[in-house]
Amino acid sequence: MSTASATALLDGIRAFLTPAQLRTDPDSRLLYGRDWTHQHTPAPLAVALPTTVAQVQRLVQYANDQRLALVPSGGRTGLSGAAVAAQGELVVSFERMNRILDFDPIDRSVTCEPGVITETLQHYAREQGLFYPIDFAARGSSHIGGNIATNAGGIKVIRYGLTRDWVSGLKVVTGKGELLDLNKGLIKNASGYDLRHLFIGSEGTLGLIVEATLRLTSPPGPSSVMVLGVPELDGVMAIFDAFRNRLTLTAFEFFSAKALRHVLNKGLQRPFETATPYYVLVEIEHTSAATVDTALAVFEQCSEQGWLADGVISQSETQAQELWALRENITESIAQYQPYKNDIAVRISRVPAFLRAIDALLAREYPDFEVIWFGHIGDGNLHISVLKPAALDQAGFLARCRQVNEQLFSTIRQYGGSISAEHGVGLIKQPYLHYSRDEAEIAYLRAIKAVFDPNGILNPGKIFA
Amino acid sequence: MKLLVAVKRVVDYNVNVRSKSDGTGPDIANAKMSMNPFDEVAIEEAVRLKEAGKATEIVAVSMGLKACEETIRTAMAMGADRGILVETDAQLQPLAVAKVLKALVAKEQPQAVLLGKQAIDDDCNQTGQMLAALLGWAQGTFLSKLEVGDGKAIVIREVDGGLETDEIKLPAVLTVDLRLNEPRFVKLPNIMKAKKKPLEVIKPADLGVDVDPRLAYSNFRDPPKRQAGIKVKTVAELVEKLKNEAKVI
Ligand SMILES: Cc1cc2nc3c(=O)[nH]c(=O)nc-3n(C[C@H](O)[C@H](O)[C@H](O)COP(=O)(O)OP(=O)(O)OC[C@H]3O[C@@H](n4cnc5c(N)ncnc54)[C@H](O)[C@@H]3O)c2cc1C
Repeated sequence: MSTASATALLDGIRAFLTPAQLRTDPDSRLLYGRDWTHQHTPAPLAVALPTTVAQVQRLVQYANDQRLALVPSGGRTGLSGAAVAAQGELVVSFERMNRILDFDPIDRSVTCEPGVITETLQHYAREQGLFYPIDFAARGSSHIGGNIATNAGGIKVIRYGLTRDWVSGLKVVTGKGELLDLNKGLIKNASGYDLRHLFIGSEGTLGLIVEATLRLTSPPGPSSVMVLGVPELDGVMAIFDAFRNRLTLTAFEFFSAKALRHVLNKGLQRPFETATPYYVLVEIEHTSAATVDTALAVFEQCSEQGWLADGVISQSETQAQELWALRENITESIAQYQPYKNDIAVRISRVPAFLRAIDALLAREYPDFEVIWFGHIGDGNLHISVLKPAALDQAGFLARCRQVNEQLFSTIRQYGGSISAEHGVGLIKQPYLHYSRDEAEIAYLRAIKAVFDPNGILNPGKIFA
Repeated sequence: MKLLVAVKRVVDYNVNVRSKSDGTGPDIANAKMSMNPFDEVAIEEAVRLKEAGKATEIVAVSMGLKACEETIRTAMAMGADRGILVETDAQLQPLAVAKVLKALVAKEQPQAVLLGKQAIDDDCNQTGQMLAALLGWAQGTFLSKLEVGDGKAIVIREVDGGLETDEIKLPAVLTVDLRLNEPRFVKLPNIMKAKKKPLEVIKPADLGVDVDPRLAYSNFRDPPKRQAGIKVKTVAELVEKLKNEAKVI
């Protein structure tokens, strides 16, 4: 893109950022040049750490003048390579824009800068006697800005929806450098196109999120967590249906015995001795004094059908956390095997048939690889992680995975599903976008990108090439 | 060998408790309640002794409101054989609890009483010791290991600066620390079985025990809020502040 020398480009940026706000050392460039994925070698020009909206606008203006590509960067926990800078881009980290600006108890909303860590916002809401429900294992590192840019889902989607459902106002600096103030915290606003929703989930390709207003809700009442042993894949959604019909579910998660093995290796306690190939974690809200009795009745009913072999239920908050750790620690427990991840979704009604189809496909295509299954199955969302055998080099491993992708994604297309449920497209799923979106749709996506970012300076190469 | 295990219903460990604005006590209305974590360890140890063929019967005991039945049911789902609730709405202090337990020992004739070393709500750490004194029994406190033999037990205790191994005579009062074991999760089928196990409800008066509080609490206050940190400009300033303000060097 830019033809100017690196030195000249950096000198230009120094005109409006302080020395501490522009990092060029190799360690910072390595650290800020990638997200949780490690498939690309980071090679950013430098890392900018703006602290004000005006500085962000200056950066965008400068990037347009110089045709310098910008990579917005949050907590870098993304799983699609959307925050990777491997082509001499300037990383724009929002880490220093991390203030909570306003809380309104009547609107029940909080306004914050994009670099606020998800967990910080959750705690802040609790301190106000309220609740921010978007939650997942990366909570301690991911940023609100990153969550909005990926429309993050997580473990409570079944009850509370996606990040999108909680954003009532958004300030963005577009690729042209204007500051847009979108929806202004309103609940109702039928005055034309809702541009806010275009920016949510746009993976930093349309604009830079510089401020967000998020809705909060009442904290949930007490809950219990169950981990249940499932002998057959077909039982998973039958169990889901049985519990959903009689209880208020706040989470319904799935994982395989292979996944469990890895978290147990890290020192967690086995939930029960009975070995089953699959497990589900069910969180229920106590809506009445009879909730646990109802859960027991459903458990019995499912056991009689042969869908369940065993199960435990938390007796304290500590046990609830211990049971959740069995599910939440999976990603970290397999990280050392450099897994190749797919994050896919189909409609809930199609999950059973779809699971059967991909179970057969994966068994056929990866007979020699360890494949770990887990996911937010109550949302129709499954994560598939293929572990790299130590003997195989990274390039050979990725080549194999990409081959299988073509078949996996064809199956997804057949079932009307998505090649990315919640992790985004980024760099890694970019070649496969056409499996979930048709040509006409992709043409519109490109046209929208051209409207907000005519020079293509924002996160180029992400979502589509 | 028959075991009596005391289980207390307390505010869940993860709940952040504040005091009531009038200072009359902690504000725990609607707070999530669970079994005292130390008592969970005590029940787990009792169940392991039974599974190892060393104990024959486990009786779980709780005292307080009707809701303590839930805690007893949890103990029975973990493996206790039956339960006794000594129901009262009196504010129970360690001496009263020890007296009730003493009366229950007379009634049940166990060879050992297992308890948590303390309860996480009042943090008293007194009941086990008082009970041993009232009974004139041996006591093994703060246990991180327990081996039951013939008429005696070898216990390892967590003491300041290390571990102490003692041999004590049975019957004995044993209070347990968290490192003793990792309590099991409760299986759903066992909750259903626990519903059918006998749970006897009696009153302190049935045991002839006066549980009236002997201590009056005069005031409850939140601990002072932590001050925000400050940034120092130089090492010299840091040293100066550590010396003169924090007075730690
Ligand atoms: C252990 C683990 C568990 C996870 N579980 C889940 C889960 O359950 N559900 C889920 O949805 N995700 C999950 N993720 C993925 C990830 O945490 C989310 O995608 C998260 O929202 C990313 O936030 P981040 O701040 O780390 O963003 P980053 O990774 O830094 O960036 C993500 C994208 O957002 C863009 N971006 C960041 N900030 C801005 C901004 N201010 N303006 C414009 N664009 C911006 C980046 O350019 C990039 O395209 C998990 C990740 C890990 C490591």
